[in-house]
Amino acid sequence: MTTTNVTSEVIGSVWKVEMNVGDTVQTGDVIMILESMKMEIPVEAPTDGKIADILVKPEDSVDEDQILCTIES
Amino acid sequence: MHNRELNTEKSDSDGGAEAPLHEELRFRRLAALEMGGKEAVDRQHAASRLTVRERLSKLIDVKSFREIGTLAGSGEYDENNKLVKVTSAPYVAGLARINGRPVAIGGEDFTVRGGTTFGSARRKGGQGGFIEDLAHYYKIPLVNLIDGAGGTVTSAKRRGYVAFPGVHGFERSVQLLGEVPVVSAVLGTAAGGPAGRAILSHFSVMVRGTSQVFAAGPPVVKRSLGRDIEKEELGGAAVAVDKAGTIHNAADSEEDAFEQMARFLSYLPQNVWEMPPVTECDDPVDRCENELRTIVPERRTQPYSMHRLIELVVDKGSVFEIQPTYGKAVITSLARLDGRPVGIIANNPKFYSGAMDANSARKQIHFMELCDTFHIPLVFLVDVPGFMVGLKAEQEATLREGMRAVYVAGQLSVPTLTLVIRKCYGMAGMATCNKNDIDLKLSWPTGEWGSLPVEGGVAAAFRREIANAPDPKAREKELEEELNAYSSPFRTAEAFAVEEIIDPSETRPILCEFVELAEGRLRVNLGPKGKAGVSP
Repeated sequence: MTTTNVTSEVIGSVWKVEMNVGDTVQTGDVIMILESMKMEIPVEAPTDGKIADILVKPEDSVDEDQILCTIES
Repeated sequence: MHNRELNTEKSDSDGGAEAPLHEELRFRRLAALEMGGKEAVDRQHAASRLTVRERLSKLIDVKSFREIGTLAGSGEYDENNKLVKVTSAPYVAGLARINGRPVAIGGEDFTVRGGTTFGSARRKGGQGGFIEDLAHYYKIPLVNLIDGAGGTVTSAKRRGYVAFPGVHGFERSVQLLGEVPVVSAVLGTAAGGPAGRAILSHFSVMVRGTSQVFAAGPPVVKRSLGRDIEKEELGGAAVAVDKAGTIHNAADSEEDAFEQMARFLSYLPQNVWEMPPVTECDDPVDRCENELRTIVPERRTQPYSMHRLIELVVDKGSVFEIQPTYGKAVITSLARLDGRPVGIIANNPKFYSGAMDANSARKQIHFMELCDTFHIPLVFLVDVPGFMVGLKAEQEATLREGMRAVYVAGQLSVPTLTLVIRKCYGMAGMATCNKNDIDLKLSWPTGEWGSLPVEGGVAAAFRREIANAPDPKAREKELEEELNAYSSPFRTAEAFAVEEIIDPSETRPILCEFVELAEGRLRVNLGPKGKAGVSP
């Protein structure tokens, strides 16, 4: 079992979270959408697995490299 | 190192007796081929690294290596002045061909004294070395295979004095940047002079996991700052390529690095007095792509894949992206249109909406200068909302770096074509074309532009009016709608302030025609570029 951290590439805020803890994801699935520079930035699963934890909620501010959620695979 | 005693017996394959001189040549050549000896070569392999001679054979055309300075090194002689053994110089150099075109090439031999300088009167390579001179005199590309830490304090003991920095320094390396393509691969741990040479290149690449580059390595950091840090953490690709942009591209293996170097050279002329090489193209020039009509989402807040857009337009399989992991708000790629090399500068809406930050400005500046120097026309695919905003962006001097991009764009002498895909705002928008000339500004129907986007712009310009309105929110929206009506690209085209609005599906034919047209102007502008003014 390996845990992968999914991090934010941008400074911005969380617009909506599309998945729940326990959901199965495949590489490229959109887990949540951030908002930055008036643009929707989809956060895609970097690997196949199961969402182990979601560390942010809508309207939270996020920083570059901040961990948004973790995937177990 | 090579022990002479083991090689004095004649082998049958040598065809019997040999004249003494010939035997010595053979002996010395064998010594060179053995590099630092079996043990040192094994160590190099155990570190997942190739020897310099293996590197050469993988990068260059088969049997194209004409070695220069094979015999350079230190001989040891017995009391009768008879040669006992030779330690070859820790640098292998020569002329070779890559894809049929001649290059000057050299690299440190890490198996001999860690690739440090060896103190001959004339350097084979490195600062002020022979292969730099070869590249300069014959106007051929220079290829550096870097695997060394440069100067060592022990050389002062040998010389009897300490060398002054900059004497036999980077003069030639600096000069070459305006004359011939210079490509460098960092293939081991590079610090000092060799690391500096990697930077004085038009294209540099390093291997993820097995190579590191820094101004100074962990022992110096420990002594200077008292900090313990591993060399990979200090100067691996995650820092040097992805974070800092010190080196342009990362490679998965040494072979991948060689492929990238050869690929990069394939777009460039041999020198600035020549035109870039045109290859045959079997991708139809008139290929129209319907997908382009719908690639930009209707909702202005939704991004799309600019990489996909580029692929749809240029010759199939011709894209070579420079710095794909650094300054990601802008994409800089060499590509071909109808076989002709072209530089693509495209904003990336998936990263900060394509807003220009300090890193993407630096990346764009390097790429513009590269293409301008080697007569490669530029195509800007524009979707830029402006400079990046916020505290971090200001701390990183976004405004200054961004204005440097505007300054360099303003001095371009290659033909440029600006095609607005969606947004083109403000000063960052100014860095996307050279307005001093008659270069074309085209737009897709989805284009929009101005000094700043209406949203936010209205709030700033009509602050008092909005605040005093009975329903401030409603008044702000009203003002936005009023101004948005003026921002239709067709109104600008009506005023002939943008030359043409094109059907997105016709992008490829139009760009191919432009690059063909550019050729005539490029031909009358060959030679080195002048340098003007003080960069902001």
